[in-house]
Amino acid sequence: MNIRFKPKVFSSLIFMALFVSLHTFGQSDPKGERRVTGTYAIVNATVTTSPGKTINGATILIKNGLVESIGNNLSLPPEAQIIPGDSLFVYPGFIDGASGAGVSKPADPERPADFDSSNPPDEIAGITPWRSVLDNYDPKSSQISDWRKVGFTIAQIIPEGGMLPGKSAIVTFGGKTSSNILANNTAMGARFRNVGGGRGMYPGTQLGIMAKFRDLYKNAELSAKHNRLFASTSGVARPEMNKTLEAFFPVLDKNMPILFEVSNDLEIKRATALQREFGFNLILTGVTEIDYALDDMKASNAKVLIGFRLPNDKTANADLEGKTEEMQSRTLKIREAYKSILEGPSKLEAAGIPFGFTSMGGRSSEMLKNIRLMIENGLSEDGALAALTINNANIMGIQKFAGTLEKGKLANMVISTAPIFSEEAQIQHVIADGYLFDYDVSKKSKANGENGKTIDIAGVWEYTSDTPAGSSDGTMEIKKEGDSYKGTITYDNPAGSGKASSEMNNITLSGNNLSFTFNVSAGGMALEVTVAGDVSEDDFRGNMSLSDFGSFPLNANKKPNQSNQ
Amino acid sequence: MKNLKIIISGFLVLGTMLANAQTPKGSVLIKNATVLTVTQGDLEATDVLVENGIIKKIGKNLNANNIEVIDASGKYLMPGIIDAHSHVALDAVNEATAPITAEVRMADVVNPYDIGLYRALAGGVTISHAMHGSANAIGGQNITLKHRYGTFSPEDLYMKEAPRTIKFALGENPTRVHGRGNGIQPRTRMGVDAVIRNGFNEALQYKKAWSNYENALNQRGSNPVPPKYDSRLETLVDILDGNIIIHCHSYRADEIYALINTCREFGISNIVFSHVNEGFKVAPELAEYTMGASVFADWWAYKFEVYYSTAYNAAILMENGVITSINSDSGELIRHLYHEAGKAQRYGELDDQQTLALITINPAKQLGIADKVGSIEEGKQADLVIFNEHPLSVYAIPQMTFVDGVKYFDINDDPDDMRLKVSASEALEPIYLKEHEHRCMHGVDFFFTNFGRNLFNHTH
Repeated sequence: MNIRFKPKVFSSLIFMALFVSLHTFGQSDPKGERRVTGTYAIVNATVTTSPGKTINGATILIKNGLVESIGNNLSLPPEAQIIPGDSLFVYPGFIDGASGAGVSKPADPERPADFDSSNPPDEIAGITPWRSVLDNYDPKSSQISDWRKVGFTIAQIIPEGGMLPGKSAIVTFGGKTSSNILANNTAMGARFRNVGGGRGMYPGTQLGIMAKFRDLYKNAELSAKHNRLFASTSGVARPEMNKTLEAFFPVLDKNMPILFEVSNDLEIKRATALQREFGFNLILTGVTEIDYALDDMKASNAKVLIGFRLPNDKTANADLEGKTEEMQSRTLKIREAYKSILEGPSKLEAAGIPFGFTSMGGRSSEMLKNIRLMIENGLSEDGALAALTINNANIMGIQKFAGTLEKGKLANMVISTAPIFSEEAQIQHVIADGYLFDYDVSKKSKANGENGKTIDIAGVWEYTSDTPAGSSDGTMEIKKEGDSYKGTITYDNPAGSGKASSEMNNITLSGNNLSFTFNVSAGGMALEVTVAGDVSEDDFRGNMSLSDFGSFPLNANKKPNQSNQ
Repeated sequence: MKNLKIIISGFLVLGTMLANAQTPKGSVLIKNATVLTVTQGDLEATDVLVENGIIKKIGKNLNANNIEVIDASGKYLMPGIIDAHSHVALDAVNEATAPITAEVRMADVVNPYDIGLYRALAGGVTISHAMHGSANAIGGQNITLKHRYGTFSPEDLYMKEAPRTIKFALGENPTRVHGRGNGIQPRTRMGVDAVIRNGFNEALQYKKAWSNYENALNQRGSNPVPPKYDSRLETLVDILDGNIIIHCHSYRADEIYALINTCREFGISNIVFSHVNEGFKVAPELAEYTMGASVFADWWAYKFEVYYSTAYNAAILMENGVITSINSDSGELIRHLYHEAGKAQRYGELDDQQTLALITINPAKQLGIADKVGSIEEGKQADLVIFNEHPLSVYAIPQMTFVDGVKYFDINDDPDDMRLKVSASEALEPIYLKEHEHRCMHGVDFFFTNFGRNLFNHTH
């Protein structure tokens, strides 16, 4: 091979070197963003180093992004910034087993002129296992700060796309100057739904997806065999390079698991059936309907990630007395089904299947509340903490440097005002990758503290919301009717100009947490928008999530009373 | 290919072992019933002894220790009804995206929670043939299900002894979906035949490529490169080798006859025609060259190609020696196939044995399971139904239904609500006035938007 000197490349290299060094060693910091010190000491706190292990009155010293030491009588270096921990509780930073935070969907490639829907090119058919999620990852996304705010410090991010969307990566939710990437190509994503609802091209349904998966897997095996033959023997026709099949190679060698997204117990059974056929390492994510698939999960040795989204309790306010016998028994069945969902995690725990949490499909504002519900229904607090920390570290294979608080591990921790799963717990600091993030804990205590009254949310609210498409605003009008609320929300009409309005459904006020949903029809599709967040008498701070499109901040203020009646 | 097959069957065996191959088998003594054996006449006041899921003895004054005894005096016992064309208990029916999808397997998408299974049991149906839809010239591989309702495991429903079957479809559905809907072959009835023929020819080439590879593997000094694996062609090879029974959606006599000829050309005799509204025009050919016809009693005129139809179809076919069955193709009709068979008797004056054969031993023959089920004979699997009246009476109501000797339906003892899985988020499950599940064209409404009207909303 000829190596020729290319001045152009060289000069850009020089430029890069200069640029990088300027950035790193430059003296100016006009905005004053650089932190004064990376050394922190949390003094005299209650420290849970791993599930079940707690040290009282302990000090943690953090230096260079690592836990330098934990103990009762540490001598602290002068540069350490002291965080008084007298009334605080420290836990290992949470780890998200599978996350979509900051991940966007890659643009659809253009269809070729001779496009054949019965035999589309892989990339158009949602078969892109060679893709890296990092190519569509924005570390500055507001979703990351949302999740960090509830304690997450590390996440396995998984790509968007079709049946084989690509490879996942592990990132930290640390400071602004780092790429924050811990590992790339950590798992191969797979799912039972395909692009575009799947009807337009092959494979369109779970039937086609299962069959296509088998064909790809077997051809990857044959292709690997051909490659080996070509490498070792002369006189063999050259192998045709195929990036889809090559992307399977680390899976065939069991160096990479397949991370299968599932949405019900039958999909769990389908994924474990494929695993039985081929023997790959399997991580199931989005596991639900645990009662119905406990045996399959146990037999498969699959690693399990469960979401913390829970359905609304439809029967909470059901008046059994006034119902016919048939409706009574139907209602009781629904209550039973609801209960069984709440008890699912405790059944996994009892069956000895270690599991972690995934944020996929969940809402950050509901996370701790829902985990508390699971704990009320039998999950141990240690089990819940393990599912947020060490279990996920084990599942991702990063337990060497994450998952617990120990000397030498990455400095990731959650610091709360009360034991983390207690109702009054508020997260005051999160340390991610050695960076300190502070949160305001005054608001909630005020809202709750005012003589314990329920907050009056009735009235007209004006909200603003920031989406990638720009800022939008509208009003929410909430009325109290008996024990429940009714309301309407206005928003920018997606099908033209002006405002459209929808009814607000499932308006739920629990403590200072307000949530509701509404339906928007856009482009012939009905989208359900979910809004949830913290509310006080005149102020609402929360997020709205739009099905698969992500979650965006939504803040509102109640209009003064003259219009509220 | 041989190696591959051994590997695959190895996986299957392993899979079966892991999945606890044992499904429940029951023992029961049914006393003093009028036993309609279907193959050996009617036996008055006779006892049937079932042990471990198998019919052990048929006779008078039978006794057995420690097993449930059911007094069926004044009642009728018949073999479990078999539906040779159904889409119950499937999460997806059509992979309607390619004209040949022989690689897809209905077994992958079985949904054991479908209440339709219990409703079928309440209609005396113990076995259904869960089929791919009719969107493609060659659709997916079907699965024969035993209605062991109550299990959470799809595999427990598989009738593992049943041979493999596959769906084909002729006429308006595949031409509408692919030709008119997607602008690809087939657009006409000629195109459908061409697609099937091309598929078979490609399969022959595929078979040859693999046998060349395997022969070369055995030769010293040769380093053959493995061909591409293609489960679509692999499945077509299995059809050509006689290992898979074709069940072909069809209406018109001309194309039925054309496919008979295509099959003869490729040496295929394992073929059953489904619907077959014009089957009476080609009855002798169906009798000679096929495994029969599975028809509706009196369902027609829901689209152009099903206008030339008659309620005498089943009788004409049967009298011409065609193995004939009556199927449901519907989550509703499956609940009263005995009435559907009764209609064929009402018009065509078939006798009781012939009529009951339409929904028992004949569909069993078409599914390749007649040595195991379809009649009440010693040694056969104990799939049984007790009726209050003769099953061909309009007053007949099934009382109890057994699969493998286990009672899965009891009109008196079962709770009102037999759902296995209840949604925690839907206070009331949606009920559709227009049945849009369990149909041949399930999942392909999408393709019907840009042309013509859809007569009477029927989508078979």
